[in-house]
Formats: sequence, structure tokens, C-alpha cells
Amino acid sequence: MAGNTTGRIDDTTLVREAQRGNRAAFEELVRHYDQAVLRLALHLTGSEQDAQDVYQDAFLKAYKSIGNFRFECSFYTWIYRIVTNLCLDQLRKRQVRKEDAPVATDASGEEYDVLSQVPDGRAAANPERDLMRRELGGRISRALEKLTPRERMVFELKHYQGLKLRTVGEILNTTEETAKNTLFRATQKLRSALGDMR
Amino acid sequence: MKCEWVRENILLYVYNELPDDARYELEQHVARCVDCAVELKATRVFHANLSALPVEEPTPNLLAASRMRLQEALETAEQGGLWQRLTFDPWAWLRQMRFSPALAAALLIVGFAAGIGTMYSILGSRPGNVAQLPENSAETPVQASISGIRSVIQEPGSDKVTIKYDATTTQQTEGSINDQRIQQLLLFAARNNYNSGVRMDSVDLLTQKPDDVRVREALLYALRYDSNPGVRLKALEGLSSYVRDDVRVRDTLLEALMNDSNAGVRTRALQLLEPVRADSSVRAVLQHLAGDDKNVYIRSRARTLLAQLPEID
Repeated sequence: MAGNTTGRIDDTTLVREAQRGNRAAFEELVRHYDQAVLRLALHLTGSEQDAQDVYQDAFLKAYKSIGNFRFECSFYTWIYRIVTNLCLDQLRKRQVRKEDAPVATDASGEEYDVLSQVPDGRAAANPERDLMRRELGGRISRALEKLTPRERMVFELKHYQGLKLRTVGEILNTTEETAKNTLFRATQKLRSALGDMR
Repeated sequence: MKCEWVRENILLYVYNELPDDARYELEQHVARCVDCAVELKATRVFHANLSALPVEEPTPNLLAASRMRLQEALETAEQGGLWQRLTFDPWAWLRQMRFSPALAAALLIVGFAAGIGTMYSILGSRPGNVAQLPENSAETPVQASISGIRSVIQEPGSDKVTIKYDATTTQQTEGSINDQRIQQLLLFAARNNYNSGVRMDSVDLLTQKPDDVRVREALLYALRYDSNPGVRLKALEGLSSYVRDDVRVRDTLLEALMNDSNAGVRTRALQLLEPVRADSSVRAVLQHLAGDDKNVYIRSRARTLLAQLPEID
């Protein structure tokens, strides 16, 4: 991914410049990855505010410690490591503070995800299908919250962000085999929780 | 045994993580085994249904706001302290170098060729002595300036000091604007020169060749980062014919429209974005500007452009 787009300044050059104190080079490096970072943080946290905080903390941390970057992995892997660690911290805090989960109870006592009730801005050709899709999205959200932070992270990186298991392992500082086993466990838990959704 | 192996690997198959030979074996088995074919279908359906929780792209507003917030924080943030920067980890360096003999050799060659290392002997205690310049430097009709001192060593028991230093020289070249070397120097000047007049002249000349990918990168860089609004306006003009076809150019113009400190740059960016106002990102930014912008002209123009757009279902 890094440095293979026609016309894009190579990451290695930018990192070396940033290590010399060139802030503009660091900002250019940020622009290579910040959309992907924000997308990941947004999907994991479900909150624009939290995603922005993760974005800010991740790139500030990268800026302060870029002098320690020794090119033993790609910059892409390095920045993703920082972001996933911050997101894992967020997920762990949420598990402790269960009152933060945006869940409400309807008239029949069933819990539902508040976020899934936000109407879709697009005019739907099929409102019933649209409603079913939102309800399903809510169920998936709740099922994902039941995973451990690590399982959730592996599943997010593999399924939703489309990374190879080998890359997932590198980012989480573990082996591809461990990432694979974690993915299996996460998928089994999700299939149990969403049993009728086959 | 085969079915067991297939069930264990169906997930990896769906995620395209299996090696080619394993993938082939699995497909061959599933073509013959009804139970495994059912399981594969169920896994695929389950994965397709997970898309009910889609991965949304961050909105242009969120991205622009995040970038601005980060930029403000970077103004006051400090990189790792001097000690951290100077700390040399010889083992990490050796680990890199042992696999890069060519790199080590190249560094040696570049070190010799890049600067002009000159040795001075300064004999401080003997009257009448002056610094002995190397023979050739007196004949070289160029202006030299010191760019760095490599070492200062005093001979024990004497006043003799040996200083190694690097010097840069001013040079001149001329050629066609299409000359590769001229282009390289213009690209360098557009980004790095401390004199805004030189940067403006460079950007102005570069806009004559915006088809070149490196030139377009330099213009985008100037629009985003140059501290001089005149340079940013020049870059904007150079990028104008690419707004329709190049999404990066469009996004950079949107950033300038949202965040530039100069009203003239923002106004011109808005004018250049008018032909692509149907783009959803442009529309989102126009909506934000129409509601909130402090600049009366930009707010009013954004409202006018939105009113001209058809409703999108």
C-alpha cells in the first residue's frame, strides 16, 4: 500500500524528513492514511466524537515518537498499531462502563440499539426492507459488543477493513496463526448470537 | 476427514485466505459433497448479512475538522526530545546495515561526493600566519558558505586546531522549461524556498506543465501548505482544469474552501468547484457553508448554488 500510488511521495522519504523535524512531511504522511484511520475508528467506536479523539491521539503519538521508528515494519503497520491500541483501550473502557451502550427498551421490553433508529436520509424505495436492515444492523452491533476487545479488533480488521490475516497479525503484534484462531472464535460467537440470521 | 478439513477451512476460503492448492481442493470437495456445499452457502449468506452494518466513509466535514484539529495540536506539539533524537542504537543500525551492504557503500560514496570536506590548519600562536586555503578554492570563482562543521580537534600540547567543515556553493544553470533538470529545480523551489517570490515564480512556471504527475503533486502541496496566499492562488489556477477529472484535486480544493485563511483563495476555490457542484462531497461542503460560514459572499453563493441543484432521491 505504501508508496505504490503513481505520483505519491514515497513514505520512506516522508518519514525520514519527518524525523528531521519537517512538519510538512509529517502532515503529508498523515494525509496518506488519515481517511483509513478515521474510517476504522468510526466503525469501531460508532461515534464521530470518539473517532476524532482516536484520530487526534494516534497522529499526535506518531508525531512525538516518529524518531523511534526504525523501518522494521512499514509505516502503514506502525500507524495501524497505534490506532488499534487506542481503539482497544476504548473498547475495554466501554466494557467496564456498560451504561454507555446506546441501548433502549421498547414497549414490549425488548432492547434495541438507539443508533439503529436514526432514519436513513435517503428516500427508500422499500421502507420495510430499510427498517429490517436497520434492525439487523442493530443486532449485529450488539453481537459485536459481546466479543472480547481483541476478538472484536481482529474481526473488524479482517471482515470490515479487508486486511489479510498476516497483516492483522503484524498490526496486533502476534502471529498469523493466532489471528486466525481469534477470527474463528469471533465468528463462532457471532453466529451463535445471530443464529437465525443465516 | 475431508469434510472435517473443509469445515475448518470454509471461513478462510470465504475470506480468500487459502493458498491456491487448498482452495482448489476445497472447491473440488464442495462440488461433490452436499453437506459441505450447504455449509459453504450458509457461511456466505451469514457474511453477506453482516454488511447490514456497513463501513461508512467519514464525511468530508468530519475529515476536514479532524485535520484542522490535528494541525492546531501539531503547532504546539514537540517531537521526541533532543536526547531521543541523538540517541543512537548501534544494534538496530547494525541489523539494518548487515542486510544492506549496497546501502552502506552508497552512503560512503554520497558522503564523499555530496559536501566539500575541507581541512584547515589554524596556527594561532605564530604571528603573520593566515589561514591556508586549499589551492583550488582561491581560483574558484564561486561564493562558498559553510553549511556545517563536522569536527573540531585540538592537537594535544599545542595551539593547533583542525576543523573539518562542509561548504555549499552557489551555482547557476539555464535551459528549456521542458528540461528535466530545470523541472527538478522548479519542483524543489516550489516546496522549499524561503523566499515567497521565488516560490511564486516556480509555481507559475510549473503551471505550464500540470499534466506531469510530479508537477500536480507540487501544486497540491503548494495549495495546502504554502504560507503565502499569492502562491496558493497561483497553484489553484494551475489545478483548475483538473477539478472535473481528478478527485484528489477536487478534495484539495474543498479543503481550501473550508479551511484557507485567505478569503480570496476560498472564493476562487468555490468558483472552480461550481462545475462539479453535483458531486456529493461538494454538495455536503456547500450545505455546511450555506448554514455557517462567516464570509457573507461565500455563504450567499453556497445557498445560490444549492438552490440550483436538483433534489436527489
